[in-house]
Amino acid sequence: MASRKKILLKVIILGDSGVGKTSLMNQFVNKKFSNQYKATIGADFLTKEVMVDDRLVTMQIWDTAGQERFQSLGVAFYRGADCCVLCYDVTSPNSFKSLDSWRDEFLIQASPRDPDHFPFVVLGNKIDLENRAVSTKRAQQWCHSKNEVPYFETSAKEAINVELAFQTIARNALAQESEVELYNEFPDQIKLTNDNKAKQDACSC
Amino acid sequence: MRDILNQLQHGAIMCWVRFRLLEVLENSGTQEAFWSLTQTLTRSMMADGVEDHLGVSSPKVTPGEAVGDELKDDTPGVSGEVMLVNTDSFEECHHELDTQFSGGEDGPVPNSPIRKVQQEQILTQENELVGGMGKVAVTEDEDKTDSEDRLQELVPSAAYVEEENLDEEYLQNPEWIRKEKHVFILSESGKPIYTRYGKEDRLVTLFGLMQALVSFVADSDDVIRCIVAGDHKFVFLVKSPLILVAVSHSVASIAQLLMQLTYVQNQIVSVLTASALTRMFEKRRNYDFRHLLGGTDRLLDNLLNMLDSHPSFLLGAIQCLPLATSVRDTITQTIIQYCSKIKNLVFGLIICQNQLISLVRMKKFLLHPADLHLLFNLVNATESLKTSENWMPICLPKFDPNGYLYGHVSYLADDCEACLLLLSRLRRHHCLEGINTAIRTSFYTVKAIGAPELRHFLYKSKTTAQFTCPEYTAPYHTEAEQRRLFGLYQLLHHRVHSVSRPLKMVYMVMDTQTLLGWVTREFELYAALEPLVTKHNAIIYVNKLLRWIKSDENKLFILNSPTF
Repeated sequence: MASRKKILLKVIILGDSGVGKTSLMNQFVNKKFSNQYKATIGADFLTKEVMVDDRLVTMQIWDTAGQERFQSLGVAFYRGADCCVLCYDVTSPNSFKSLDSWRDEFLIQASPRDPDHFPFVVLGNKIDLENRAVSTKRAQQWCHSKNEVPYFETSAKEAINVELAFQTIARNALAQESEVELYNEFPDQIKLTNDNKAKQDACSC
Repeated sequence: MRDILNQLQHGAIMCWVRFRLLEVLENSGTQEAFWSLTQTLTRSMMADGVEDHLGVSSPKVTPGEAVGDELKDDTPGVSGEVMLVNTDSFEECHHELDTQFSGGEDGPVPNSPIRKVQQEQILTQENELVGGMGKVAVTEDEDKTDSEDRLQELVPSAAYVEEENLDEEYLQNPEWIRKEKHVFILSESGKPIYTRYGKEDRLVTLFGLMQALVSFVADSDDVIRCIVAGDHKFVFLVKSPLILVAVSHSVASIAQLLMQLTYVQNQIVSVLTASALTRMFEKRRNYDFRHLLGGTDRLLDNLLNMLDSHPSFLLGAIQCLPLATSVRDTITQTIIQYCSKIKNLVFGLIICQNQLISLVRMKKFLLHPADLHLLFNLVNATESLKTSENWMPICLPKFDPNGYLYGHVSYLADDCEACLLLLSRLRRHHCLEGINTAIRTSFYTVKAIGAPELRHFLYKSKTTAQFTCPEYTAPYHTEAEQRRLFGLYQLLHHRVHSVSRPLKMVYMVMDTQTLLGWVTREFELYAALEPLVTKHNAIIYVNKLLRWIKSDENKLFILNSPTF
């Protein structure tokens, strides 16, 4: 088992189908990009180790299916996430509008303890394309309204901002992690044998 | 993910089972062949009237009814005085089956006072089950070439592997893949906690996949129990907040694997307590339990090795060090004499090489064999206990899953392997060096019985939850042969405890040995004999064995139950 220093973060990527979730992940993990579109079924998992300050962090990245008919993995799937990455396509206003419902959906399903401060990151992907339809300002406003969610404009194809975005994701999730690490629980004291009455019916034969 | 699912479906058969483990076995090709074989064997043997020879009154006795009237009075190892909770070997599993499906509760030993006191704290878990049987069975005949192929299918291949991935190295490593039994522990949110082989943080995506499978099945109000693919079994135990997974291609049955996973789960509870586990997880679903479980892998590794080789877990029973009654009594009296004044001392015991020498208990409290096994494991796995006396918090899950007992562990002397454990509620220093007396290991071999064609046996006295077995002798003198024999015992055990068709007696003639399994209300007997032994002789030997155990029962078992 790992020592205290090793850290594992569960990162979930959400967004409409075709906005480039898998491509972003592939660019980040494998430094590869493919123009071919293959719908993700259910989910895919990738791992990447990153250094945040002097700490080695293993990111367990859960790439999910955007298409509704492939989203069948169940509620438990989202639980225990350390960070959620919301993606949209800057050329598709609808995918941007969906961010609200993706965020709500996540909060309902994952039910984190402190929903207002749960670390989200928003990525506006495909900025290499020319037919841009969602302005930076509009996206920034949305992020501002959701408690200052960090916002990045990325291109999985050109590898623009991808590394930086995931670094931020790791850093923000880590900040949450260490915050709660502060209070350490002390386990139970046993209170059993004091209870004389209870002792009477202790024999299980 | 989709690749792996596809691959799994390729592997001949995939089943999600809710109600009966055996459904899977019936569907599995190789198992099927084997079962039909053994069943035919058994039936023909039974038809031949083995029972009559052995003194079984009627082959159609209802389960639980006393068998073998002549033997009843002198059944070896029977005692009215009990110090251990007597168990069915599959108590754990049956409990597992019950709780997982009734949406029920933890807390198998119903009368523990502690449990009553702290009932509100007991973990709530397991999805409530509604709806029909979730079972998928896909059969494909084409690709049943060899096991190598099937192994490959279990591994994400093609596009998945092309991706540069930390998990790749293990999933590509044939040595890692071929391990007979993998055990993985993860949190309900898919965070890795433990893997038997390799480093858990190099298998992060695999853990994610396991959680996805559990979550996927849970979404239809169901619980994933196992997947059978070729000769591989994937057994899941969902015990919130933990998910335990065993991947095995050994002979161990699904029920036996489930029992082993329960032991592993109990081991974790023993370190953290169930309430602490739940509380941490309620507080933070993304909690990384490795922080709290640091150093526990040593215990888990050792436990898993013992589970693979030690009959005590399989039988749910304790082995006692064979010892003359007078010596044992002296030891017991010494413990009582020195310890009876210690307030709140719940159990005092002396153990040696995973065998019990003496156990003194507080009146009204029984020790569960499963808890004692964890104590054995703790002592067995912790070298450092030898160097000094130790106080440590120990949670005994069957005794009380939500609280710690203080355990005092000390070895009696440098040159003596006997180890003293005192479990109490309060810290108190005390010493017992004087007890370093007549404890001498006195193992016996099967020769002592004088049954030339009897090779090895396990005899469990059900009422006392104790068992005895001789040392391994030729042909079981090599480790490989011992493992094989253990596998055969697992098989026998599975046959007689089969949920759908429990047997009272199994007689199997095989190439390299003849196996006999016999279960009555008082005992379970598993024996390995020469392959060419005649049925007539086998019966004579077994009766001789029972008489021998009877004559030595005071040495082999602890039949009284001293208290403070």
